[in-house]
Amino acid sequence: MHVEMKHINKTFDGFHASRDVSFGIEKGHMAALLGPSGSGKTTILRMLAGLDRPDSGDILINETRVNDISGSKRGIGFVFQNYALFRYMTVAENIGFGLKVQKKSKAEIKERVEELLELVSMKELGKRYPHQLSGGQKQRVAFARALAPNPKLLLLDEPFAAIDAKVRHELRTWLKDMIQRVGVTSIFVTHDQEEAVEVADMVIIINEGQIEQIGSPEDICLRPQTEFVKDFIDTERFKINYQRNAVSTHGKQK
Amino acid sequence: MSKKQEKTFQQDMVGDGVHSIQKVIEPHQQEPNRIVKYAMIGVSVLFLFVMLVIPLAVVLVNALSEGWAAYQEAVMDSYTINALQLTFLATVSSVAVNTVFGLFAAYLLSKFYFRGRQVFAALIDIPFSISPVIAGLAFILTFGNIGWMGDFLKAHNIKIVFAVPGVILATIFVTFPFVFRELFPVMNAQGKDEEEAAALMGANGFTIFRRITFPHIKWALLYGIVLCAARAMGEFGAVSVISGHLRGKTNTLPLHVEILYNEFNTTASFAVSSILVLMAMVILILRSLIERKK
Amino acid sequence: MRSIHKIEIVFMILLMGILAGCGKDADSAKGDSIEILNVSYDPTREFYAKYNELFAKHWKEQGGQDVNVTQSHGGSGSQARSVIEGNEADVVTLALAHDITAIEENGLIDSGWMEEFDGSSAPYTSTIVFLVRKGNEKNIQDWDDLVKDGVEVITPNPKTSGGACWNFLAAWAYWQEKDGNDEEATKEYMKKLYQNVLVLDSGARGATNTFVENEQGDVLVAWENEAYLSMEEHPDEYEIVTPSVSILAQPSVAVVDSNAKAHGTKEAAEAYLKYLYSDEAQRLAGENYYRPSNEAILEEFSDQFHLDMNLVTIDDFGGWDEAYNKYFNDDAVFDQIYGQ
Repeated sequence: MHVEMKHINKTFDGFHASRDVSFGIEKGHMAALLGPSGSGKTTILRMLAGLDRPDSGDILINETRVNDISGSKRGIGFVFQNYALFRYMTVAENIGFGLKVQKKSKAEIKERVEELLELVSMKELGKRYPHQLSGGQKQRVAFARALAPNPKLLLLDEPFAAIDAKVRHELRTWLKDMIQRVGVTSIFVTHDQEEAVEVADMVIIINEGQIEQIGSPEDICLRPQTEFVKDFIDTERFKINYQRNAVSTHGKQK
Repeated sequence: MSKKQEKTFQQDMVGDGVHSIQKVIEPHQQEPNRIVKYAMIGVSVLFLFVMLVIPLAVVLVNALSEGWAAYQEAVMDSYTINALQLTFLATVSSVAVNTVFGLFAAYLLSKFYFRGRQVFAALIDIPFSISPVIAGLAFILTFGNIGWMGDFLKAHNIKIVFAVPGVILATIFVTFPFVFRELFPVMNAQGKDEEEAAALMGANGFTIFRRITFPHIKWALLYGIVLCAARAMGEFGAVSVISGHLRGKTNTLPLHVEILYNEFNTTASFAVSSILVLMAMVILILRSLIERKK
Repeated sequence: MRSIHKIEIVFMILLMGILAGCGKDADSAKGDSIEILNVSYDPTREFYAKYNELFAKHWKEQGGQDVNVTQSHGGSGSQARSVIEGNEADVVTLALAHDITAIEENGLIDSGWMEEFDGSSAPYTSTIVFLVRKGNEKNIQDWDDLVKDGVEVITPNPKTSGGACWNFLAAWAYWQEKDGNDEEATKEYMKKLYQNVLVLDSGARGATNTFVENEQGDVLVAWENEAYLSMEEHPDEYEIVTPSVSILAQPSVAVVDSNAKAHGTKEAAEAYLKYLYSDEAQRLAGENYYRPSNEAILEEFSDQFHLDMNLVTIDDFGGWDEAYNKYFNDDAVFDQIYGQ
């Protein structure tokens, strides 16, 4: 297992945000933390990133317990829900910030920034400021910034929530491609069933701080294990989708 | 009428009402508006003139009524210069203390969640709502001879009330919330995502403050400082209670103005007032410059 | 980037300013000079400003030290309070003995201060007179004229002002004398008098300003010295009316023993008050419209003062402690009169 959480508990002021959460994700996989708002999925992501500390339980990355290692030393890239781009820095400065903090040489930073700008197809926009960018462009910058220091694990908090419904679909495909191309293990938080099912290859469903079910998208849609999952996923709709999808992908692949 | 019917009926009424009002007003909109506009301008200008321009002009005219030489004499008087120095010292101290405190408090309250946050924020605002005279008396009852800490201070030979430290303390007290009040909303709106993002990339606290937080708050901070300085310079009530009016020692400019006036030194008191007016004008200009930047 | 540096510079300057300010505060070192803090009441500003120079010269001739007197002025009662609360006066020169007694009661002044200097420790005296506007339109001649309808009186608040206490007692003495000690009748007159008060300032100087600078009221019941000072400031605008009965007001002085001991200024402080009785100082007091306690020098000013006025003294009221308890304490006569 590349990333593992074991029996994690977390409370905020008496509110139980995580109850005995355990799961593992294999290297190179893309997992979705899916649940309604307030279910505790973002808390899990923040604990992985070291932004919050669990009350009990272990977090392991690469078989090493990281509970007491600060977030900046866990080799993590984080894409915030609203991207949290540094608004007083240009796109290039944003992407290069992590490297600059690590005291990398100017030449090295420049090379890596250009490489990333190229990767996210924003070569011309390096000198712009965040407020001069569209939502989709911001997300691409946030993505590039998170990838700049070559993280082993990429965490994304509701990466599509702030994006227009029209372009959301397009971006989803783009992001999935991109992550596959880079080959980094990633976990993203979403409340959108469709998004989870379409993008991830592993879905973790959370409700009231507890894991309801872990499985492949197909598992989740076709074989819901709890009443909550059945209700939340709207399995009827996805079942039809899936059967159709399964047929068509099979057809294409073979 | 059932509840449902009543509701739709009311909605109709409201909807219709709005509609009909719009209908009536629209054709006439130009005419009454123009009259109202000029009437309001007229009243405002008149009010400003009577309440602000004339009194300030009177200060300057009176200050110079006995000629430039008398003005200079009043302004260069050693007591005036002492008062100016003390006012400067009190202003700079309160700006410094309240800037540091304001930054910490605003950072704490906007970036961390803890129990009693609301109470903390409300406490900071106390000087806004409490009369400065009460603040001065409270200080005397705390640090004075027969006050709560009186014996301790006396034993250690520390003088606070009726001395310069008291004047500075009182000034700090009344200007306490200014920097915080300007910073807090800006920092709160910024959220902590950017800072967390930078921290995750390994930036240390100082770098985060310098590169992320500070660029965002710098105009608000400066604005708060300017407001704080303006208030500190003009503070009368709290300082008056705590100063003991020792000539050349614990008199700030505003107190000195009162004393000169009480000594039938009308011209000198207006001359000294004119220094304060001048300082206020500088502050005003600074303020509007910063406001534009903000 | 560039603007960040600018701001940083601004901060640096501010910081340096603070350091400079602290440095300045610390270097009030004492060399061969001595400092005396004289906490006084309102109308003595002009007198002590001049007296301090006189004394500094005298002390230098005697002892060789430079002496620097700092003044503080306000309503006598509130000044006494500030000394009690920690205003570290070396000497107090207040409007009435009662205020000094209050300080004594808090242990700051040794008992027996009243016998320390001549004339019950009152180096100069004054009395209460009326100041009216030129022409005396309302024809104010005596206390009776102050209780007439439509006469607006300015006098300060006896709760905070020593001068106001003297005003009150002078009026009281007049009606007592007139009505043969009928206290109820006197109270009625006093009630009418305070009903005619337009502004009740907290100090004598405030009251003078109200009457002179702000031109409120028809008559100011004032210290004699304060009335003369107003005449001097605004010649031809005012007249002084002396009532048939008034009071000998004895502003008292005392060394604040515990402060002076702590500051090491006891000797100078005592000399400072003692020198008030010297011929030069007595004459200076006369020039500032205080009645010198030295009879011979008082005679020199016989043109200036109405020396034939009928003056009662505080002893006629049984001394300050008794008078204060009877008239000015909470719920005492003044509160009964003014509250209703």
